[in-house]
Amino acid sequence: MGEDFNTDSMLDMFLYESEQLLENLQNVVLERKDEDCFDETSINEIFRVMHTIKGSSGIMMYENITKIAHKLEDVFYYLRESHPDNVPHLELVDHVLEVADFITAELDKIKEGETPDGDESGIVSEIDKFLTNLKSGISQKGEELPPENTYVEPSQFYIAPTGAEGSKYYKVSIYWRSDTQMCNIRAYTAVYSLKEIAEDMQYIPDDIITNESSGDVILEDGFHMLIMCQCSKDEILSTMGETSGMERVEINQCTKQEFEMGFHDQGAEPIIIELEDKEQAPAEKEKKKEPAPGDYVIKSKETGKGKKLAKNTPKQQPKQTYISVSVEKLDSLMDMIGELVISEAVVLQNPDLKVPGLDLTNFQKAAGQLAKITTELQDVIMSMRMMPLTNTFQKMNRIVFDVSRKLGKDIELEVIGENTEVDKNIIEHISDPLMHLVRNSVDHGIESKEDRIAAGKNPKGKITLEAKNEGGKVYIIVRDDGKGLNKQALYDKAKKNGLIGNRSITEFSEKEIYQFITFAGFSTKEQVTEYSGRGVGMDVVVKNIQAVGGNLEIDSVEGAGSEMIMKIPLTLAIINGIVMQVGSSTFVIETNAVKEFVRIRKDMVIREPDGDEYIMLRGECFPFIRLNRRYHLEESSTEGEDGIVVVLEHENKYVCVFIDKLIAEQEIVVKPIPSYIKKVQGLSGCTQLGDGSIALILDIAGLIAGEERK
Amino acid sequence: MADELLEELEEEEDAQKGKFMTFQIGEECYGLSINFVQEIIGIQPITPVPEVEDYIKGLINIRGKIIPVIDVRLRFKQPSLEYTDRTCIIVIGVKSTVVGLVVDRIAGVITVDEKGIILPPSLSQSSSGNSKYVFGLVRVDDEVKLLLDPERLIRDEDTTALEDAVSGEDVVA
Repeated sequence: MGEDFNTDSMLDMFLYESEQLLENLQNVVLERKDEDCFDETSINEIFRVMHTIKGSSGIMMYENITKIAHKLEDVFYYLRESHPDNVPHLELVDHVLEVADFITAELDKIKEGETPDGDESGIVSEIDKFLTNLKSGISQKGEELPPENTYVEPSQFYIAPTGAEGSKYYKVSIYWRSDTQMCNIRAYTAVYSLKEIAEDMQYIPDDIITNESSGDVILEDGFHMLIMCQCSKDEILSTMGETSGMERVEINQCTKQEFEMGFHDQGAEPIIIELEDKEQAPAEKEKKKEPAPGDYVIKSKETGKGKKLAKNTPKQQPKQTYISVSVEKLDSLMDMIGELVISEAVVLQNPDLKVPGLDLTNFQKAAGQLAKITTELQDVIMSMRMMPLTNTFQKMNRIVFDVSRKLGKDIELEVIGENTEVDKNIIEHISDPLMHLVRNSVDHGIESKEDRIAAGKNPKGKITLEAKNEGGKVYIIVRDDGKGLNKQALYDKAKKNGLIGNRSITEFSEKEIYQFITFAGFSTKEQVTEYSGRGVGMDVVVKNIQAVGGNLEIDSVEGAGSEMIMKIPLTLAIINGIVMQVGSSTFVIETNAVKEFVRIRKDMVIREPDGDEYIMLRGECFPFIRLNRRYHLEESSTEGEDGIVVVLEHENKYVCVFIDKLIAEQEIVVKPIPSYIKKVQGLSGCTQLGDGSIALILDIAGLIAGEERK
Repeated sequence: MADELLEELEEEEDAQKGKFMTFQIGEECYGLSINFVQEIIGIQPITPVPEVEDYIKGLINIRGKIIPVIDVRLRFKQPSLEYTDRTCIIVIGVKSTVVGLVVDRIAGVITVDEKGIILPPSLSQSSSGNSKYVFGLVRVDDEVKLLLDPERLIRDEDTTALEDAVSGEDVVA
């Protein structure tokens, strides 16, 4: 690898591709983890992934990644070639995941701009041992060992670049899809992988590394290589068949003379055409003589022989239809669209248009069109922020696997409704709590195998992860069929820890007792395990869920399992709100929290000596807040009876708020109050109204909490 | 010699160095390093936020971004003045905090030689309200300009630092 080249633009591609590959790898592995062994497809897939990572990390000179990937590749090469039937599957799965974790960690380091300096030797020697065991298992049975997949030293498989007899000569042409980026690097990847099997090779354009614009040349004319090696076409194809974005690969056998003539002794440009003519002739001849192993052109959509490539393409196609955009950019786009809507209103309702006698027919038509487009734009940007829970759920798969293995439990994870879409911000917030809940279920929920058998249950535990949309909220449910929660134990524990004072167990409903586990400083597990049970968990989980406006419900049947239900709003960004005015200030209250509007008479208000006020409504007494006084707003007229009382409810607690007048109900885009301003109790955010002015959003929970504190 | 060379290099590095946006509060003229200034806008309706320090006037909306606004007069414990069409809002960004400053009048941009900056006498530290925000004085055309440290200007006296405010961002109930 003597070539010198700039790695900056390559680095991004390397990181991106490697991450995709690793994700792919994990999915393949976890899909098969419960089976007895990997099937051929997944072995090939893992081999392919490791081979690619080995190659690309080699180009990037990340030696430890190359080594570890190579080691795992060895194992899968062996599996592929000799099909041993005594593979300790779980051990193998462990090794693969270990390697994946190692590489991911190294990639993270690279992303942070650090040097990937992780020590791979431990894992490598583990895998070495594993591989040796595998092989010895086979040799004992007297089977023949396959040739070694050695990387450094020449062996039966990798042929050293000596002009050995019987060498075959090939002309290989690769064409990429016209939208492929950085073809020169992809071409180099192909060259790099072929170097392993080739005795000698040449390629044009030959400046792919040093000259970035060679990528364009390759796009246009394809990338051509002349290779001398002892392999068949299939081997060449499989060696380099992993580069993405390929449209077509042509491999033609050619003569030694043609090879030696190579791309030399002529000017670079015209040769490409000449060469094509030259190469086509023998290829056609061959086709007639011997069609089976002869010339084959693989197009990605072809079946049959093209399978090798075709198998990869459908997996890559969906990826290419996505691009990743930072949430920040989406947010600013949403801001801009919000502004656009306001500017639109300013234009369309411009006082200049109110001049009598103007003919506005065409204007109105155009205005209608404009309004339609802006509305649609708003919908689109909102939908862009929605993401399926698939990725989040897949992570859980890994956690269940890891934790259950370490605890020696046999657990199956069922996933339902993973395509449910949730706002991106919310997904970020629920990933951690969800992880915790799943761990809890594996660790505390599901009993050990012996206990399950003793209880007459299926020895295999089951955890269900379910997501669904219901009533404008997303329900994410973690359900296990474990031992469930013991009410008495929960109560005793809570009492012992002084969380509930001296109240007796009968004072609490079932659900209230289950909620005890979410109290800070509560943990029913005596032993602290590696995964959960430090007693810091559930209260943090609940806090995180509440931070996105959700809540956690717990249900359980002792002996049969428990159910944790996260109820989370679809989006944080948009709520239905009622806009109201107090003095010169505008406030917004979430529509869901509003129970009713009442006009009151003075005698309905009861005043305590200390100034607190209550209001009697149908024989019930509610705390009464005059917003103008609460927030010291001037110019308010709510002293008299001409205001309106809004009855608000939050978690079965009520509060009445006195305001001047109602303005409208509308969808509002919630924005945080700039962090520079200290948190004001009772305010949760702000929003921009149609006229560009700002309204403050009232936080009912905060208002109620403020009342209670008094 | 070496010093001069260094300075030249630095100047080349940053064309904005030594440039100060100046504005007036009453009789006094203040300067703010132009690096911090994002934009200047005319006065516009400010939405008050209850229960905050009196110098925080409230929130304004700039192209969909909601930012807090400080009245520099009140910040300097001077009596507030009714806003006119000369009143401007200077939007500054310090670290990750964006804040608008209400000032009486924009004066212009001056270039200040770093050597010409005189440190404020330490005696006055406690006496007048605004000197703790001033990191230096400079004389331009027989007029003294007070150079402000924006970080100190927007920082709350009793709470420790901006970082506090930033970490408080996730507290959305």
